Amino acid sequence: MKWELDISIELCFVDRQVTRVEGVNEDALEALYEKRRRKTLEQKENEKSVVQVDPVDALPVKSLDGERMKWFMLLYNAVSQTAEVTENEGDVDKSVVKLTKAERRAKLKKTKKEAKKMGKELAKTEEVQPTQQEAALAEVKEDLTAEEAFEAKKRKLAELGMALLADPEANIKSLKEMLQFAKDGDHSIVKLGLLSLLAVFKDIIPGYRIRLPTEKELEMKVSKEVKKMRFYESTLLSAYKCNNLLLIWACILHTIHGNMQQGYLQKLLALEKQPRFHHVVVRCICTLLDAVPHFNFRESLLVAVVRNIGSSDDVVRRICCSTIKSLFTSEGKHGGEATVEAVRLIADHVKVHDCQLHPDSVEVLMSLSFDDDLGKPEVQEGNNKMKNKKNKKRKNFEESNQPQGNDRKRSKQETIAKMKEEVAADYKAVSYTPDVEERKRMQSETLSAVFETYFRILRHTMQSSVARCVGPYSLHNYNEQCGWLLELCEFFSYNLFKAVSEANGNITSGGSGAHPLLAPCLSGLGKFSHLIDMDYIGDLMNYLKRLAARGSSSDSSAQKVQNLTVSERLRCCIVAFKVMRSNLDALNVDLQDFFVQLYNLVLEFRPGRDEGEVLAEALKIMLCDDRQHDMQKAAAFIKRLATFALCFGSAESMAALVTLKQLLQRNVKCRNLLENDAGGGSVSGSIAKYQPYGSDPSLSGALASVLWELNLLSKHYHPAISTLASGISSMNSAQNQVYISISPQQAFKNLLLEAESFKYNQQGGTQKSNKRKGRSTALASTLASVEPPPIDENEVSKKLRRHFILLRDIKENERLRGELDRATSALQLYKEYKKQRKPATLKNKKSKKARTTVGM
Amino acid sequence: MRPLDEKETTAVFEKIFKFTGNNLKNIVENPSHEGPDKEPGRYCFRLHKNKVYYVSDSLVKRATNVARTKLASIGTCVGRFTHGGNFHLTIECLNLLAANAKHKVWLKPTSEMSFLYANHVLKGGLGRITESIAPGDGVVVFSMSDLPLGFGVAAKSTQDCRKLDPNAIVVLHQADIGEYLRMENQHEQIIEE
Repeated sequence: MKWELDISIELCFVDRQVTRVEGVNEDALEALYEKRRRKTLEQKENEKSVVQVDPVDALPVKSLDGERMKWFMLLYNAVSQTAEVTENEGDVDKSVVKLTKAERRAKLKKTKKEAKKMGKELAKTEEVQPTQQEAALAEVKEDLTAEEAFEAKKRKLAELGMALLADPEANIKSLKEMLQFAKDGDHSIVKLGLLSLLAVFKDIIPGYRIRLPTEKELEMKVSKEVKKMRFYESTLLSAYKCNNLLLIWACILHTIHGNMQQGYLQKLLALEKQPRFHHVVVRCICTLLDAVPHFNFRESLLVAVVRNIGSSDDVVRRICCSTIKSLFTSEGKHGGEATVEAVRLIADHVKVHDCQLHPDSVEVLMSLSFDDDLGKPEVQEGNNKMKNKKNKKRKNFEESNQPQGNDRKRSKQETIAKMKEEVAADYKAVSYTPDVEERKRMQSETLSAVFETYFRILRHTMQSSVARCVGPYSLHNYNEQCGWLLELCEFFSYNLFKAVSEANGNITSGGSGAHPLLAPCLSGLGKFSHLIDMDYIGDLMNYLKRLAARGSSSDSSAQKVQNLTVSERLRCCIVAFKVMRSNLDALNVDLQDFFVQLYNLVLEFRPGRDEGEVLAEALKIMLCDDRQHDMQKAAAFIKRLATFALCFGSAESMAALVTLKQLLQRNVKCRNLLENDAGGGSVSGSIAKYQPYGSDPSLSGALASVLWELNLLSKHYHPAISTLASGISSMNSAQNQVYISISPQQAFKNLLLEAESFKYNQQGGTQKSNKRKGRSTALASTLASVEPPPIDENEVSKKLRRHFILLRDIKENERLRGELDRATSALQLYKEYKKQRKPATLKNKKSKKARTTVGM
Repeated sequence: MRPLDEKETTAVFEKIFKFTGNNLKNIVENPSHEGPDKEPGRYCFRLHKNKVYYVSDSLVKRATNVARTKLASIGTCVGRFTHGGNFHLTIECLNLLAANAKHKVWLKPTSEMSFLYANHVLKGGLGRITESIAPGDGVVVFSMSDLPLGFGVAAKSTQDCRKLDPNAIVVLHQADIGEYLRMENQHEQIIEE
């Protein structure tokens, strides 16, 4: 018997290697469940004999009759793979669950065949090398006892699961057994237990929330079926709860381990195993929440998910975020309650962590959807209520007027009314759609939580600036100096922050320089701006104003205050305009401060560092969409945009020029800038001189200047820009022009695309250039065309050559002039020298003469 | 004609500050290009017969040639001191205020005339309004084509304006350019005196 056992061990060993070398196909994985089903049926017959023969419980190899053997192998491989796969990608185990019966059967057959083949091969290999591994046998045996226990447990787990799925009501007790597995010491067993429990729960959880019977109800007599049902439900519930508790416990365990990562021997173990464990647990929680959001203990699930929503681990975070998003989008599943809870929890989460989270955790809120029509029926209901009240009053009045004779009648009426109320309440409870008021309440709760989060982030961004130079965040001091490193720095410091906080175990720590949540917060505010209450708008605008003004160097404390990036400040302006626009109540508010900010931001904008996209959007929303402008302000913007179109990249300057053109079209008086009339004439206003660095657009005196930039821009290397610029400069003379109006954003995008194709053309377009020579100018004029206008190499090179020749000429001139100067100065010096020399010689002669006379 | 004393200066500046905010600096430091001097002089405030004038330095120097009783007016009249010692801005300072205004209100064309007849600005007549006006701030009133019409004091903040009914008063009238016609006689009298 022992020999047999050894052989079987060997066999197992070899065979596992073989299968691994071959690479088990994916079907084997799916086969796991089929195997379980088969086993449950056959095992019941076989099990007894196996157990009798072998004390190590359930060693299926013992029988060696082919069939069992194969299953075992496959099961092992499949299981080991599931464990791995579930960690890496969740798609596969979903497919397991979703298999239809027909497919299952087909797969079963296939795997059977494969297994048979494999068995034959195995037999051969065994004969070939029967004694090779005898030396290693002893060691292998030791390993095997553990391994075998492992296998047995796995098998047992599979059996239980299959039985449960086949007939949940009869086998509900085995849930508890399965739970025992999940408390096992072995990590992989625990993992497997959790996963199989997940599959089971997903299948057997009913479509309603279970309410445990009260004591009173327990006392009542009920039919057998109801009793059975109750027992089933209560067991399910308790098992589910245990499972949940376990999951959460595991989570906590993980975090604790994660925090105590210093100095212990356990550290290694924890590092190696815990993260894996963590993944599985999070996946379980997420799938459960996704599949059965209506069921009991949703709260604890939600808490666990939200806790991990800002996790530093990419996989975990992505899973959690997608779960929450699906929770938001599929409100029908849980009637919206889970949404409220989740949003509330996220708000608390942000609060606890002091706004230091991954941007994803707030970006999730973007997928919320609010029903705008909910407000309308409420008004009607309100009216009805008023009427009802009146009616009731009237009724009461009438009733009180009535003589109190017929008490019996009244009591009868009361009972009838009571019955009706009860029925109505019952109906409400049973009916599928939640009533409007309830939904409205939930929606407003959600909204308030969302805006609480947003406002908290804004306020935090404002306040964090002061306590900035604390700890590792002095890194941010360099941000001002090296703007293009900004993003990188932020990213690093964010990670650094994560690491530090995890190591210390306290995630909440004081101010940090980074504002990871600001961007999603601003975009969220822009999206939900129409839902903000009127009372908050004032505060919101104040915050936005101060944020947009942040970083202007005029502050005395500018060094301490952390500067937001130009893009962020531009976004603040955009959001402010969006909020104002969506809340227009027939009142046209002029957001002067934001215009001032934009005016200065154009100065600070650097094409490489800041996002041109944002600038284009800001230009569109603030300058193009707004109907009326002051003449002074419009002129100031026109002048500044023209100036900076000279030094922006081609795409940005295109956006600027398009904005400029629209401004000029709208403000007829500003076309004075196009005239060659310095001083501005009658419209120039009180300021007689243009101040290019002024910070206030209405005081810049731009009307006194001339748009000479357009003349330069019409010699721009990019044909689209040059045609547009010359078009603008001739705007005044050509009257009935039909303007193609495109938004700055559109222009920006077009040019970006063109820039790419421009590069491409440069690489391979020298031969074609001759063909295009004639067409290029005509094509370039169609600005908004879908195809980028081809750029003539010759033209460009000619222009460049002309430019550089000019430059060289200037240099040459300078050099020559310098030489001339030197020559003339040398000549002059020589002349002076001569002049000085002459009197000197004269004197000498005179003195000689004198001496001679004296001597005489 | 004499410079303002300290008390008078604060009264004048406080009043103008209500309308212009920090742009008051521009008014004071505004360079004047009058007179024969090459470098631009400054503007200053002068008091003459209870009236406050905004005058360039060079003009002040030349005005010393005129006897005090004979001097009717000099530079731009900004306002006058009442008998009670309060300072009131007059319509002549409108251009000064409009160029440096902090809070502005634009009127719809339909309600321009109403304002020019010394009525308050109602919410219904509001074409546009700058943000963050607080009640009590000085507001310059413009037509939709950016022509300054007058000025007044805000009765409601911008926030409150949203919820007001169309007949509520937003800006209390102080002065408008209609005065030049309506009070023609008064102005003439002043000059004749």
